[in-house]
Amino acid sequence: MSAVCRLRCLGLALAVVVGASADRAFAESDSDFFEKKIRPLLAERCGSCHSAAKGKTRGGLALDTREGWQQGGDSGAAIVPGKPEESLLIRAVRYRDDGPQMPPKEMGGKLAEAEINLLVDWVRRGAPDPRTTAARIGGATLDDARKWWAFQPVRPTTPPIVKESNWPRTDIDRFVLAELEQRGLTHADNADKRMLIRRATFDVTGLPPSPDEIEAFLRDESPGAFEAVVDRLLGSPAYGQRGARHWLDVVRYADFHDGDPKARNPVCEPLEAWRYRDWVVESFNRDLPFDQFLVHQIAGDLLPAPDGKEPNTDGLIATTFLVNGAWDRGDADKEKMVSDMVDDQIDTVGKAFLGLTLGCSRCHDHKFDPVTQSDYYALAGIFYSTRMLKELGTKGGEITLQRRPLVPREVVEKRDQQVKQIAEWNAKLAELDKQSPKPPADDPARLELVAQRDRLQKELPPEPPATLAVSEGGVPGGLFPGIQDVPIHIRGSYTRLGDVVPRRMPSFFAGDRQPPIASGSGRRELAEWVASKENPLTARVIVNRVWQWHFGAGLVRTPNNFGMLSEPPSHPALLDWLAAKFVEDGWSLKRLHRRIMLSATYQLSSKVDGRGLMVEGQKQHGEAAAPSSPSTLNTQPSTTLDPDNRWLGQFTARRLEAEAIRDAMLFVTGKLDPATGGPASDNLAIARRSLYVQTARWDRSNFATLFDAANPDASDEKRNVSTVAPQSLFLLNHPFALDQAQLLADRLIREVPGDTPNVEAARIQLAYHLLFSRPASDEELAIARQVMAQTAEPTAESGWTDLAHVLLCSNEFIYID
Amino acid sequence: MNDRMTFDPTRRSLLRSMIGGSMLLPGIVSQLLAEDAAPSNPADPLAPKPTHFPPKAKRVIFLYMSGGVSHIDSWDPKPKLFADAGKTVPVNEFQGRKGDYKMFLKRPQWEFAPHGKSGTEVSSLFPHVAECVDDLCVIRSMKSDHTNHYEATLGIHTGSFTFARPSIGSWVSYGLGTVNRNLPSFVVIAPQSPYAGGQVWGSDFLPGAHQGTLVVPGPEPVANIQRRAASSRLQELELGAMSRLNQRHLASRADDPLLTARMKSFETAFGMQAEMPEVFDLSKESDATLKLYGLERGSTKGFAWQCLVARRLAEHGVRFVELIDVGSSGNWDAHGDMLTHAPLAKNIDQPIAGLLRDLKQRGMLEDTLVVWTTEFGRTPFNAASDAKGREHHHWVFSSWLAGAGVKPGITFGESDEYGINVGKDPVHVHDFHATILHLMGLDHERLTYRHTGRDYRLTDVHGNVVRDILA
Repeated sequence: MSAVCRLRCLGLALAVVVGASADRAFAESDSDFFEKKIRPLLAERCGSCHSAAKGKTRGGLALDTREGWQQGGDSGAAIVPGKPEESLLIRAVRYRDDGPQMPPKEMGGKLAEAEINLLVDWVRRGAPDPRTTAARIGGATLDDARKWWAFQPVRPTTPPIVKESNWPRTDIDRFVLAELEQRGLTHADNADKRMLIRRATFDVTGLPPSPDEIEAFLRDESPGAFEAVVDRLLGSPAYGQRGARHWLDVVRYADFHDGDPKARNPVCEPLEAWRYRDWVVESFNRDLPFDQFLVHQIAGDLLPAPDGKEPNTDGLIATTFLVNGAWDRGDADKEKMVSDMVDDQIDTVGKAFLGLTLGCSRCHDHKFDPVTQSDYYALAGIFYSTRMLKELGTKGGEITLQRRPLVPREVVEKRDQQVKQIAEWNAKLAELDKQSPKPPADDPARLELVAQRDRLQKELPPEPPATLAVSEGGVPGGLFPGIQDVPIHIRGSYTRLGDVVPRRMPSFFAGDRQPPIASGSGRRELAEWVASKENPLTARVIVNRVWQWHFGAGLVRTPNNFGMLSEPPSHPALLDWLAAKFVEDGWSLKRLHRRIMLSATYQLSSKVDGRGLMVEGQKQHGEAAAPSSPSTLNTQPSTTLDPDNRWLGQFTARRLEAEAIRDAMLFVTGKLDPATGGPASDNLAIARRSLYVQTARWDRSNFATLFDAANPDASDEKRNVSTVAPQSLFLLNHPFALDQAQLLADRLIREVPGDTPNVEAARIQLAYHLLFSRPASDEELAIARQVMAQTAEPTAESGWTDLAHVLLCSNEFIYID
Repeated sequence: MNDRMTFDPTRRSLLRSMIGGSMLLPGIVSQLLAEDAAPSNPADPLAPKPTHFPPKAKRVIFLYMSGGVSHIDSWDPKPKLFADAGKTVPVNEFQGRKGDYKMFLKRPQWEFAPHGKSGTEVSSLFPHVAECVDDLCVIRSMKSDHTNHYEATLGIHTGSFTFARPSIGSWVSYGLGTVNRNLPSFVVIAPQSPYAGGQVWGSDFLPGAHQGTLVVPGPEPVANIQRRAASSRLQELELGAMSRLNQRHLASRADDPLLTARMKSFETAFGMQAEMPEVFDLSKESDATLKLYGLERGSTKGFAWQCLVARRLAEHGVRFVELIDVGSSGNWDAHGDMLTHAPLAKNIDQPIAGLLRDLKQRGMLEDTLVVWTTEFGRTPFNAASDAKGREHHHWVFSSWLAGAGVKPGITFGESDEYGINVGKDPVHVHDFHATILHLMGLDHERLTYRHTGRDYRLTDVHGNVVRDILA
């Protein structure tokens, strides 16, 4: 029996004992009374809407368990034992004017007077209820859900006391070291300065450090040297490009559906998605507080512009988040497609911001988490009340994405007026020409008309820039064309509709803090609820992601799922501490990066003789021991104590991501164009950063995909790292790779002229500094010279190209320590 | 037939020639040779893995026809549909919409006749494959969950009708690994992109090594396979130097499986450059063989080339070969006119028959499973009495299996009198998948992968092996 399971069982036993002692023992007559009179009445007249067992808890209220009415619904406890007048249930069945009247007319209407009296009598007796079945909400008992760590408020934590008190640099280190010490593990040495600047530079900018930057860092012996590097990196425009790429994975961003520019249909392709990507880059660079970043993406169209002028361009652009998803746009069934879009939005908002797999409740209650199908359709109502498409399109035809102009309404209206005027004049001209006899070409009236038209045509400004964006109100022509609550879709299909669910936040999570949706779709309320400091999930989820961006793995290893089937955090107190500090800091991502990078934990070496060293003489805890496998049998047990580096005793070396591999190649050849912004290119050979090479949902056989770029069909929490032969084939044979080898060779020859003393060694050294952030050893010089000697045909230059190719393909180039 | 026997000669001789040609690579070559003897490396996702029980099939050739092949015009004879054409039937759902509809029965376009000793009835749409019916197990009670191409295509490949999930080829690769390190374990030959695109052969959350390698018929069927270095010797020199640098890099680090896997991937790439073109080189195939498939010498066009290359990939140890005949347009989606089935059938008929005969004469049909399927069938009825086409129909359709471990010359399951619903012994897509895995020696309930805190399966929480068709 695991410790967790033991605890759970203990909890259960306690609950039973407490339950039995807290409620007075039932008098036989109480029990009889309940079984004979009350249970059948509740089941028959209330059960179809208020049954946890049936998964129907209208208003959040279940009446088929004792916990159900004790906990109560959206309006609080349903019964105050002994006090019928104060019990909401009694007020409701009495049809009082100031509250809900139950059962409602469509469910048979008011109870008979005798039935009401039975209920009053029961409550007066103290509402004896022997039904002890745990109340459930969705896939969890209420009790378990309340105990789940991620659903509890962020706890205030203080850094623990550690033995090795001179090691920690920051409080982060105290949390980490305490766990290591408790497990009898020790930590690696500090990374050397070259390793550190290479790691930090790739981490923050996705690019290698330049030899000059390394040199400056080595020379700076002040205690604040690394801090200065971190600040420089976080201040560079490349930070936003790197951070945006991380975020775009989470929000299933793609530049296009179709990889082929000629095949793209402009009405349904997200051609303006790049504006969103650029907004994300800029938001990272100006450190837009994460709560605002979030609210913009869900409800930016509803925010006033900061300068008070309409439209709020950033707000509109940010909502591209909601509509840049994957669904089968061309299929016959357009209503199904709209329901898929709504599902994509619920799924992405749930995973990206809340770490909840809300999409699982589309067809049924969640299997594991306290999320019901009603919760899902309460949210679906919000998104159905949001206009994502200009037009639904016809069966088998294309949808038309909604575009909103980024200029003031007057400008648009004026231009529309002009376009209309031109069309009118054209129609008039056509009419004139249809007359018989046709007026002569030099007819003055006609000429005047032509001149007017041409003048206006010349004045007509180009079509104003537009963005993909949402607005309030549903998809015109669809099933839910306005602002409305929607019914449950039985088994997820709009063709079988059940009860209408009022728009609201998921009931377990919002509890009694349901923000009222007064007018509008409810998106703004949703955004603010997600971004609230009180939401236990939002800050934890983003802090965990940023940790993962730095360390390769999160403290919670399922960053899109903090639900009850996920693995709890390795360092729960650290996670909460980081989340609390993050909110205190005004949701600043840059401060969070800084806090993490300045810790000693971040600055550990990845090179140790084994992982998670064991302190002499101590035995390992069972749970961290590696499963024995053939590869570990021959090694010393002390090297395998923490094979996954869960306890952070060292830094985990890792392979660069697809974009960083390509960008690093361009960087070392000196050809990288650091420009930001603009539409994506379909040409891999351009010198711009990979962020600006297109991601297309239907093209899964390109460079980025080959090296495990995110799949933009759904939110991607963590990239795979695959190592397959086709990657090597790319590096060996693709023209892009060969061109970079050639360009690198050119650079070496150009920057170290032929008359330099010891020219060969100097060029090899330059290559090593550029690619590996370090000088070459004598042995490496010898190997490089050997390659040169054997391949320097037909020209000496070709030898340099071959050497460059070898170095670009080598492991060291695409791994960071 | 033994996998090793078929590919060893090529591989061994290739490896030996490498030793002869270079002094820089002996380390790599000896590693490759040693790998033949001791094939298990736990860090290597493609290392051969034991099956759950003894397998009947060592490899699969999965023939997927895109767009929805009409069952009632091909594998599922419905005399009553011929007789009652023009009459109406009540239907409570049409193209995903609930309602009370009256639909007109439409006469099948092709006549049926019994074939072979088994007497299995096949229509004149597939005259060549009809001659092979004594090797087929035709399933006439297939069921899918969705009426749209995208979802149904995803479903027949991944078991999921809604989300991207690993495809069946990826699951097989994950479950069994590869027997030839010079080739991928899962190869897809598709001239155009099908519905759902690369998701059809995607590995999704499974390690990327299990993703299908896409082959597009043409001059360079596998991307970047053509060696661009001036000579093989030059490339060996480069790889040899790289290997030495990587060894030094590795020596100062803890044993990181990623680093060693990457070194190996360059060696595999080196091998693929030699072996892949060899697989695609059909010049040594006899005229008789080409004729069997109906392939013109030198042509890489049509399903004939795909089928012949599939046989060669299977011979070279590829676990799962999928052939997709056409893409997401110009396919079997005969809404407008059933006669558009004719040229599509012609493209696949003789090549498939050729493939079955060729495998049989080489003794490979004994341990090769050949699967033929589509994403759904087509409606036996239409909204208009004079409609020339048929709509999507997932309530029942037909597929077939042949070869390793499958009863030959039988039919299994039935549709109802008009081919509208399953009449007897339904075989859902999940059951179909469970059965294919079973024939590969894999228990579909035990072949799991942990992802976001949950154990995933190809068959989700469904699927029963169709035991009645096992030999």
